[in-house]
Amino acid sequence: MLQNQLIFNQSSVSLEIIGLPDYANEENKSQISIISQWKLMIIDKPLIEGNIDHLSSIMGAFYSYANFLINNDNAFYESKFIDIKAENYFTHNVLLKSSKPNVKPLKIKIGNSVLSDIINCFDQFNSSIKVRKVNSVVLDKHPKKGFLVFINKDKIFSILLPPLISVCSLFLISSTFIYFYNLSEANDKKELIHSK
Amino acid sequence: MLTLETIDLNGAQSLLNLSSNLNLNKILPNKVTIWKLRNNNPMRKSYINNKITIQAFDALTKLAVEMSKALYPYIREILQSRDDIDKNPYAWNNFKNRFIELIYERLNINSMRVKKLIDPNGNDEILIKNLLTLALCSSDEGYQKLRTSLLNF
Repeated sequence: MLQNQLIFNQSSVSLEIIGLPDYANEENKSQISIISQWKLMIIDKPLIEGNIDHLSSIMGAFYSYANFLINNDNAFYESKFIDIKAENYFTHNVLLKSSKPNVKPLKIKIGNSVLSDIINCFDQFNSSIKVRKVNSVVLDKHPKKGFLVFINKDKIFSILLPPLISVCSLFLISSTFIYFYNLSEANDKKELIHSK
Repeated sequence: MLTLETIDLNGAQSLLNLSSNLNLNKILPNKVTIWKLRNNNPMRKSYINNKITIQAFDALTKLAVEMSKALYPYIREILQSRDDIDKNPYAWNNFKNRFIELIYERLNINSMRVKKLIDPNGNDEILIKNLLTLALCSSDEGYQKLRTSLLNF
């Protein structure tokens, strides 16, 4: 049976959806309700493809990650199929984990322009009336902030070091003063004895 | 808004045209109303506390989203220029210089927050974040995304 194909393009990214209409619901021939395959093509990057579960997982990951970026959160997403981490404020590391055994995970580095293109492609796909919406389950895979996460080693040093140095220097200076004080007191006593 | 105006040289007129296209004439009938609303920003030289209404806030958010939709190719080009700064620095440098010029023109440069914005060594992160937020919100659901982000700010 000939399958339908829809392509959503945005600059350097294109999303291809291949599938069939749901004839049981008497849908239009050009409609795609049963997605059998999808391909995410990014210029200069390897082809990403998979089944409907992978698509919903990847869309959920990118949407969650984009929301973290917009809402000033620590941009970081982890799931069974995909991890996305910010390397710096203009590079993002995407790690795609295959569901097949003995297949190494695929690591892709993308910039902000490609990230926004991907989100734009997914938005076009979501708003298209020709294809059934994928339930991109946005699971909260963001690591919960335990109290240990808030402890930043650099911050601890910057908080503890100045008072520590000040206490040490105070101790050193005061101890030298005590020595001088004792010395002058001893001299005074000697002078008193001599005068007697 | 200032980021969008940096990209669109005729930003004030574009905002007004968009407001009529979006049927926001009742809330934003002219340039002066938009200017007055934008003066609620405490970083501005001409800051006035007008007590912005939720309708006006929503209207400005809608305008920002529609503007970012229209300017998406340019926003993307600037972001790409920053991604490959060694190969193609022109768009990024041009944007950055114009943004700083606009800040000198509109904002109170004695404020510490504004000083951060004009610091050429430290403002990259803020500018990229602004551009990326606009790029990620340039969709049909962009209004909700930007609104939530602004309310959480």
